[in-house]
This record gives sequence, C-alpha cells and structure tokens, in this order.
Amino acid sequence: MRYAILLLGAPYSHQASHSALRFAHALIARGHALQAVFFYHDGVHNAARLAAPPQDERHLTDEWIALHAEHGTSLEVCIAAALRRGLVDEREAVRHGKSGHSLEAPFELTGLGQLIDLGQRCDRLITFAP
Amino acid sequence: MLLHVLNRAPTTSRVYQQALAMMGEEDRLLLVEDGVQGALPQMVRHFSEVHGRLFALREDLASRGLLGRCDASVQVVDVDGFVHLTEQAERTVSWY
Repeated sequence: MRYAILLLGAPYSHQASHSALRFAHALIARGHALQAVFFYHDGVHNAARLAAPPQDERHLTDEWIALHAEHGTSLEVCIAAALRRGLVDEREAVRHGKSGHSLEAPFELTGLGQLIDLGQRCDRLITFAP
Repeated sequence: MLLHVLNRAPTTSRVYQQALAMMGEEDRLLLVEDGVQGALPQMVRHFSEVHGRLFALREDLASRGLLGRCDASVQVVDVDGFVHLTEQAERTVSWY
C-alpha cells in the first residue's frame, strides 16, 4: 500500500517524531511504500538544517534524510508553518532578506494543497501529533 | 472499520471521551505513547465500551516499564502490529 505520514510534533519536545520514524521503518519493512512525510505545525522543526544534537543522541533530521535517501520518501514541509518559525530555504531567505537559510533539500517547502493531494493519492495517511 | 489512535492517558486528558464518542461499533482503539497507561487494570474501566477492541503498543509499554502490567482484556501489539492494524482499517484517526 501507499502510505503517507503527517507529523505535527516538534523533535525533542514530544514523542511524535520518534513514533513516526518507528512507524515509517515498520511499514517499509512490511513491504509498503512511504510516499511522503508532511511536516506541519511544530513538526516543521524536524527539518532544521542547523540541528546539532549531542553525538550520543539520535539525530532526527538526519534520520529523515536517510529515509529519503534509502526509500525515496519525499519530505514536504508546510511553507506557512515553516516561515513563521524561522525555517527558510535559500530562495525564501533571499526573498525575505535573511542572511542565511535553515532548511535545504531533500526537505522541500510546499503548500497545504500537497497534504490534501497526499490524502487522496495514498491508501493510508497516519497522523503523529504532540 | 476505522482505527483510532490515542496518545493521552485518561488521567491527564479527557480527549479519550471524544474518541470513544466518535467510535463506530466495529472501530478499534490503539493506545500509544502516554496513552498506554489506559491499559492498566486500574484505568481500563474508562474503555469498557470498546472491550475486545482495545489495543496497546508494546514498545511504549516497555519504555514506561509497564510491559506485563496490562489488563488481560487489552491486546498488546508491537509496531509491526500497529502497521497491520492500519492495513485492516479503512482510515486512521489520531486523538491527542
């Protein structure tokens, strides 16, 4: 089946990111395809390029990137939720006159329409919330 | 049949009441994260109306030291079982 995950919880504040990652690996292990993870609300912080957790802790941003690299899962970040929390890619940084960017590929800024599309395109959409 | 997923304990949030109110006769309820506390013998009465359709996530029980302490009426599933439940359900609804 085609799955998508909606992640609403911030990393290191709530269990949502860990739960979502665990579920992502389990569904892939059962032979399903994880089409996309949509990061929304405080979940957008999972995409922070500058995240630098202690080395003996899980690096959640890198784990999402690995999921993309190994399984082709797209990592879609709600642009409205991201911009107001200081998560901007290079293009948005220029557009808003910021000196640096905090989000980069494979994470992509996208709109809520993409979430609706995922809901229609995928067989299952599972929400992980704080 | 829908799968409802609840991540709050009955002692900290009343959202479980909304979940129960919205559940259809065939629907199932999976307790995850802090929600697994609802599977304990002293809490499970809150979920009496979904007797036989109540599940709890093994990994979240284990991380809270609650494995083996669930009420006998609760079906314990691991994350693989969680995926299986989502396969069987038409849709999944998360309550938080």
